[in-house]
Amino acid sequence: MDPKPAVPDYFSNCTHCGFCLAVCPTYKLTGDENNSPRGRLRLWSEEAAGRLPQDPWTDFYTAECVGCLACETACPANVPYGELFEHKRHDHVAAGRFKPALALRVAAAAVARPAWLNLALLPARLLRRLGLPLHRFLFKGRPAVLQSTADYTRDLMQRHRPTGPRVAFLTGCLMEAAFREINFATVRVLIENNVRVIIPDNQTCCGAFQEHTGLEGVDALRAQNRSAFLPLDVEAVVSNSSGCGYALGKSLAPDKPVRDVLDFLGELGPVRRGRDGSTAQLYVDLPCHLVHGQKLAGIPINVLDATGYRWEFAPNAKDCCGSGGVYNIQKPENAGAILASKSAFLNEAEGAPVILGTSNHVCMMQWHSAGASGIVTRPYEVKHIIQLLDPGADFTIRGEVLASPAIQENTCAKGY
Amino acid sequence: MSLLSFHLQRLLPRGRVLDSPAQLAGYASDALGYKSYRPDAVVIPADAEELVGFMKGARQLGVPVILRGAGTSLSGGPVAAQGGVIVHSSGLKRIREINVEGFWCEVECGVGLNELDAALKPHGVFYPPDPSSGPVCTLGGNVASNAGGAHCFRYGVTSNYVLGVEVVLLDGSVHRFGGPAGGRGPWREDWKRFMIGSEGTLGAFTRFWLRLLPVPEKVWTFRATYPDLRSIEAAIHALVAHSSYPAAIELLDPRGVAMVESSQMAVGLPKGSFMLLMEIDGPAALVDARVEPVAELLRKAGSRDVVFSDEDAIRQKLWKARKAAGGLLGQLSPDYVVQDAVIPKRALAEVLQLVYDEADAAGIRAVNIFHAGDGNLHPNFLFDSRVPGELEKVELISERLMRRVIEVGGTLSGEHGIGNDKAAYMPLVFGPDSMRLQWAVPAAFNPTHQLNPLKVFGNRCFTA
Repeated sequence: MDPKPAVPDYFSNCTHCGFCLAVCPTYKLTGDENNSPRGRLRLWSEEAAGRLPQDPWTDFYTAECVGCLACETACPANVPYGELFEHKRHDHVAAGRFKPALALRVAAAAVARPAWLNLALLPARLLRRLGLPLHRFLFKGRPAVLQSTADYTRDLMQRHRPTGPRVAFLTGCLMEAAFREINFATVRVLIENNVRVIIPDNQTCCGAFQEHTGLEGVDALRAQNRSAFLPLDVEAVVSNSSGCGYALGKSLAPDKPVRDVLDFLGELGPVRRGRDGSTAQLYVDLPCHLVHGQKLAGIPINVLDATGYRWEFAPNAKDCCGSGGVYNIQKPENAGAILASKSAFLNEAEGAPVILGTSNHVCMMQWHSAGASGIVTRPYEVKHIIQLLDPGADFTIRGEVLASPAIQENTCAKGY
Repeated sequence: MSLLSFHLQRLLPRGRVLDSPAQLAGYASDALGYKSYRPDAVVIPADAEELVGFMKGARQLGVPVILRGAGTSLSGGPVAAQGGVIVHSSGLKRIREINVEGFWCEVECGVGLNELDAALKPHGVFYPPDPSSGPVCTLGGNVASNAGGAHCFRYGVTSNYVLGVEVVLLDGSVHRFGGPAGGRGPWREDWKRFMIGSEGTLGAFTRFWLRLLPVPEKVWTFRATYPDLRSIEAAIHALVAHSSYPAAIELLDPRGVAMVESSQMAVGLPKGSFMLLMEIDGPAALVDARVEPVAELLRKAGSRDVVFSDEDAIRQKLWKARKAAGGLLGQLSPDYVVQDAVIPKRALAEVLQLVYDEADAAGIRAVNIFHAGDGNLHPNFLFDSRVPGELEKVELISERLMRRVIEVGGTLSGEHGIGNDKAAYMPLVFGPDSMRLQWAVPAAFNPTHQLNPLKVFGNRCFTA
């Protein structure tokens, strides 16, 4: 990895055109230009150049950023805002200008040690398994309490012996510790689609948590993941969380591609689930770190079609839901306001049941909280798209008959 | 808290007052990023009512008052050149009415241009002015600078679509110039023309009534490349006079083409070529019949590479090089100045050559991306303001260019406004009598020049 430059050029390519204002959730919320990418870049560069003294307002506006990276997509001058922001946030935390909440500091230590986190969140898995909701962020699901995704995968691989492409799978920290059922579903879907899945034991957290909080430790996590994933003889490393995939992609670049599992399945043409007569309606939201971070066009149409549900994109599907990694914990008021405008459509949405589908567990937590905190007053389910492709416990590879051996074109809807 | 902040907070009980150095830095410039001026304070009124209240008390503040929309202007307009308070209109974002039958809408000044477009789309109507900053810029800024855009060749600029303007003056009085019923406002219809393009020197806009048009049934976009300036000029002249009545005629010069082609936005344009982009629109039967004649015209002028389509996805790709070009400048250079001169089309080749010669001689890179149909040049001079002497070189080239523009019968600005960037060139175009009369207008509305001083006229200072 290249060493980080001591002081990056914060205003590098920025021509101050202002195109970032229109897509910035905090500018839209406050109407204050300092609370936009153009404003923040100006504050950082002025301070770096010695024209602006250290000011608590610079710290405030820096901490206000959700980190959704919509500005990177909007920026015609390719300003690497995410990288600059990450650098700045790290500096602010290191210098004591911003202090993440105690819970987050503890969590940061825990995610770096997946075994501890798995143990610590065992009660959460148990309660979720028993269907007892204990927090507004904990969406419904029935995770295995004791069996790990790695063990489960080894069993399934033995039983089904797929012969197709080989991939390594990032199980994640919180994903594995709290929302393991999504990992299990991911493995089932991959194997059903004849994909050979390898789970290296020595993998660790992708480092996104440290990036989001600005806390130390990301370099060690990146190094460990490089030693875990790079020696493997696989076509790609796949991730089922767009944020984790984005962070791991940065760690493994340029040596090994990290693919979003839905994007990867789009190329294979996944087995379609039949849901004839279903009155359910799926609304698809696109995580920021999928479209603005990984810069994918979206979730492939053939994957969404394969869920078997009637589906459409949620309004403003490419806009942030306010989750922003840990933003909804650090800035709950802003995150709630962003979510409120984003999720309002659910109150009037058609379908029985209504399913909100996305591809990042942190966004799922945020979407779930819309119901738990009373923003959305009608019942709805939050699902990972991979769960909607899940064949369940009893399945055969591609239904034993290879329905579509040719690789299908990975197409996305116009505009997405 | 300073005395100024204390007064401001009393004037804006619901809005926001920004006064810390780090809260002012973000408002130091518009899109002309290298020229920065720190304001004394920034206020964000919560709504129109609060803006009126602010204006009522603003005279007592004893500092300049500068109105600002999204700050995307390229003229150094909404900046605190003489210090003072910037009034940011981001709180006035209501689209108050869309009257489809009457083909008009009523919007507040802080509504974004593309936000309005999105709201109008389901009704089958549109608001034609389309400056490239559309995703961000506000209608307040558009009216203040009389903004244009690519499609103004046929549709005309902002002033053709403003039916009425509501303005607050510095004494807090609210005036309505025109309105949806044409001249039936309390002021004579044509007085609104004083307001359009006034660059914040007369009063603060609160809302507008804007004229709308039905969305054209069919649009065809054409892209053609030409080996030299002479042949593309022939194509432009032929198009302007052609019965197909083009909606837009845009040009990207070889340096612009090279910039696009060496970036990730590359679309496969031939090296060293001039790119022409044009559009025709109207009823399907009519425009479909015009497609072949237009393509033939483009070929006849010397293009062996004419591509055209009526499919939205392909049309967007054809526009891609043009749309991407502006932002790509930032990847080449930390700063740039873009001029906005309008010239008679017969002088196009000559003035472009002058741009190249002057820029090359000074060692400054120049890229031309502009609205060729209406002769609205946009030479972009790329430089680094941190390198001593570069800005001075660019200013010298700009001045020589302006002198030549005026000699050939052109003028300073087509759509960006004068701001403080072009104020120094005003006397090149206007004689003393004309300057005196123009000066009298802001003096009538705000005699101490408290509103946006040092703009349009370089020596128009606020004197408390």
